[in-house]
Amino acid sequence: MHSAPKNYSEYHKQLDEALEDKFLRNTLDTFAVAYRANRETIFKEVDERGLIAQIADAKDDACRHMEELYAQFKEQAEKRGVHVHRAATAEEANAIIARIARENDVKRVVKSKSMTAEEIQLNPYLEKEGLIVDETDLGEWIIQLRHEGPSHMVMPAIHLSRYQVAEDFTRETGVKQDAEDIQRLVKVARVQLRRKFIAADMGVSGCNFAIAENGAVSTVTNEGNARMVTTLPRVHVAIAGLDKLVPTLDVALTALQVLPRNATAQRLTSYVTLMDGAGECKANPDGRKIMHVVFVDNGRSEIARDPLFSQIFRCVRCGACANVCPVFRLVGGHKMGYIYIGAIGLILTYFFHGHDKAKVLCQNCVGCEACKSVCAGGIDLPRLIREIRSRLTAEEGNPLPMSLLSSVMKNRKLFHRLLKYAAFAQKPFTRGTQFQRHLPAMFLGKHSFKALPAIADKSFRDRWPALSPRVENPRYRVALFGGCAQDFVYPEQLEAAVKVLAAHGVAVDYPEAQTCCGLPLEMMGQRPTSKEVARQNVEAFSAGNYDAVITLCASCASHLKHSYPEILQGDPLIFKAQAFADKVTDFSSFVHDVLGLRPEDFNNTGEKTTYHAACHICRGLGVKEAPRALIADAADYVPCNEEEVCCGFGGTYSMKFPEISARLLEKKLDNIRETGASRVVMDCPGCVMQIRGGAEKQGLGVKVSHIAELLAENMKK
Amino acid sequence: MPTINQALVDEFRAKAEAVNAVVREAADLDAALQYVVETCEAKAPCEMLAEEADAEKGPLGPNGVPTRVKRIVAAPCLDDESYAKLSAACEARGFSCIRSGLRGHLAGIDVGFSVADLGVAASGTCMVNTDSEEGRLAGMIAEINVIALRKSEIYPHLPAIAEKLRARMGDGTPTYTTFITGPSRTADIERVAAVGVHGPLELHIILLEA
Ligand code: SF4
Repeated sequence: MHSAPKNYSEYHKQLDEALEDKFLRNTLDTFAVAYRANRETIFKEVDERGLIAQIADAKDDACRHMEELYAQFKEQAEKRGVHVHRAATAEEANAIIARIARENDVKRVVKSKSMTAEEIQLNPYLEKEGLIVDETDLGEWIIQLRHEGPSHMVMPAIHLSRYQVAEDFTRETGVKQDAEDIQRLVKVARVQLRRKFIAADMGVSGCNFAIAENGAVSTVTNEGNARMVTTLPRVHVAIAGLDKLVPTLDVALTALQVLPRNATAQRLTSYVTLMDGAGECKANPDGRKIMHVVFVDNGRSEIARDPLFSQIFRCVRCGACANVCPVFRLVGGHKMGYIYIGAIGLILTYFFHGHDKAKVLCQNCVGCEACKSVCAGGIDLPRLIREIRSRLTAEEGNPLPMSLLSSVMKNRKLFHRLLKYAAFAQKPFTRGTQFQRHLPAMFLGKHSFKALPAIADKSFRDRWPALSPRVENPRYRVALFGGCAQDFVYPEQLEAAVKVLAAHGVAVDYPEAQTCCGLPLEMMGQRPTSKEVARQNVEAFSAGNYDAVITLCASCASHLKHSYPEILQGDPLIFKAQAFADKVTDFSSFVHDVLGLRPEDFNNTGEKTTYHAACHICRGLGVKEAPRALIADAADYVPCNEEEVCCGFGGTYSMKFPEISARLLEKKLDNIRETGASRVVMDCPGCVMQIRGGAEKQGLGVKVSHIAELLAENMKK
Repeated sequence: MPTINQALVDEFRAKAEAVNAVVREAADLDAALQYVVETCEAKAPCEMLAEEADAEKGPLGPNGVPTRVKRIVAAPCLDDESYAKLSAACEARGFSCIRSGLRGHLAGIDVGFSVADLGVAASGTCMVNTDSEEGRLAGMIAEINVIALRKSEIYPHLPAIAEKLRARMGDGTPTYTTFITGPSRTADIERVAAVGVHGPLELHIILLEA
């Protein structure tokens, strides 16, 4: 039913299969686009950021007081006639529920949706005990009939077509069902499941909030099946992760303003129930429900104690992190998590289902931060995924190539010498162009979807002494952080930036001791080395008293600004790191917001130019306006469809998962083509590498450049 | 005289209609009861989703199961006086009106009637006290759920009802509260919206002046 890839070759095979599934691709594509628009509309009515911050604070607080809340919940619920249990492991939880069933002479169980029940694999356990278990959420029922696991936390059967469903229903009812009539198919479930509700002795529900102040559990559904499950049978068992404990009704009501909006772009689901206590149930002789709440730990107390990972407790299981994930959109949930799906799925797999199941899955994150920007609890999901990679590396030890890489990266001079050697060694393949044209295709395999860039003849750092401009009475003194891609592959982008800055009274410095920002190392789980290069960079910039540290690479910028203070926590350099991070500014923001460049500073060529918003500029740094305004100042800006969707580069990601990177790029290029623009600009050399490589390969005929190049070209002298 | 905030009423109405609720206005509870009876009269016969021994069965409905001949209206939570009025009106039209024994009709009934404790404007939600099992079933197994809501009991958003809810749930006796926002719905097959998967096919809300 559930499977996690054990190694890369198995995983690549699975990914290829998913990528070939046309129905899945179309469905998820349509969904991704519709969801984004609907979500935006439905959030306009509330203070999205404010609510998310409230949820994050309240859940963090609940996490810190988990034990007290548990005790309070137990006391309140027991006062109201509820039996409260706590299971340390999945096995224990299953055993408790099976025992409840036995003690109450239960034969048939109906279930409403519970991810925690999936997590502990309750159904197979109860079935082994001889019980008949029926799922009653339509999607869950469909996948139960097919013996599959959910492919989405909220829409478990999103991967299936009406034809597959009609077949399953035909088999189940013995009556031919018409696939074209979805309304009718839904009614098949209405009829079939009503009978199961009536026959059941025990109902098992999930629990969205366990409210300590009054011992209430709540369910949130659209179908109303949870109402049936908790009302009709004699016995009700609610399963709740310990992370579902909240202190008060207020916290639940606040979160309910976000959960349905984020999950399905609804203001509220059709039904929300709050049950405190064993209420009336006429199926029992004494007229009272037999009610149990089973809290599942299964690693949660360990998470709660972890200073970084405790933020997992903020998760309300809305599924939004999958909804906006470009990788999920391509391969679907069965390939993006073990039981829990999407970004949070990668993380929870590591904690709930073992490091072994997580080690390959956890690599499949492109790092675009789309999930982080919508998470109902404001969880820093990409960071947690990187952190898990580091932990996995620490646990498993480095494979040899990684150890080599690490030792090279710690030694900046060696690293840069190697890059320069590569510039020389590639000569036979580039014939003086910017691409490695003549690498035999057999060496490239899955990587042949884009032309690979060549290393520049002369790096920026070697050009700098001759280039360094003299600025009299400068308005600002800034340092440039180059980053590997621009220093060694696209030095002309940095040159363009220097030209723009110097022309507007900015004195520019290029500290020579700077090295790789370390993000690629983080993405590969190389934490110790990434810390080492971070220290080197902080030191390299600490001498000059700069007004700002400018970088043209959105990924470097976001890493320097946000991750340095995090990964250097507790390091003697932390204060310097914070001061450095505060100064880091992306090129577009500096030019637009600080220098205040306006249309009159440019000769607007009217060239039709579109924009690709690099993940780390629009989400990582939250910079949206400056680059677009600048393009419009210097050219004719035409917006691009899905402008803020990842181009598939993701640094080392495109090497690890070329099949996915290629599809993301394909989409990006299609969208660019549709604009009819003759040029596309962006704030990131990595994206330039990806998009220019793809454009070259396809013969797209669109010029791909860094925004600095556009501005330098069109600047009034 | 409780005050009515017209802006909240308007917002409630718009949000409830946005999720396929039918919203009507009535002067008082009696008028709402009249609406219940008329709605029951006008609807298609109720489909019987399961076996029910004593019920008279009519021709098969659209989903291939028998239909109920004698229509059933359930209103478990009405006070005696209003219930007597509803019951009389039902009898006059040949419907049966019940306030208990709903477990005997789990195959489905025609109309279930409830009175909401309060409404939430921001989402068009009715909060219904469903402590009694009969009251809960009336809103679940009916094909049409009619809920009466006093206009003066509409609150702006969920956090605004926390105190009311807390008071209700705080005294140590078990409670069961249901927030209802539109009819039962799903989009589990190809994300196509469909109503009436388990609960009511239709939700009607009657806004009462008093
Ligand atoms: S991690 Fe955030 S976005 Fe993902 S399911 Fe949890 S709350 Fe929703």
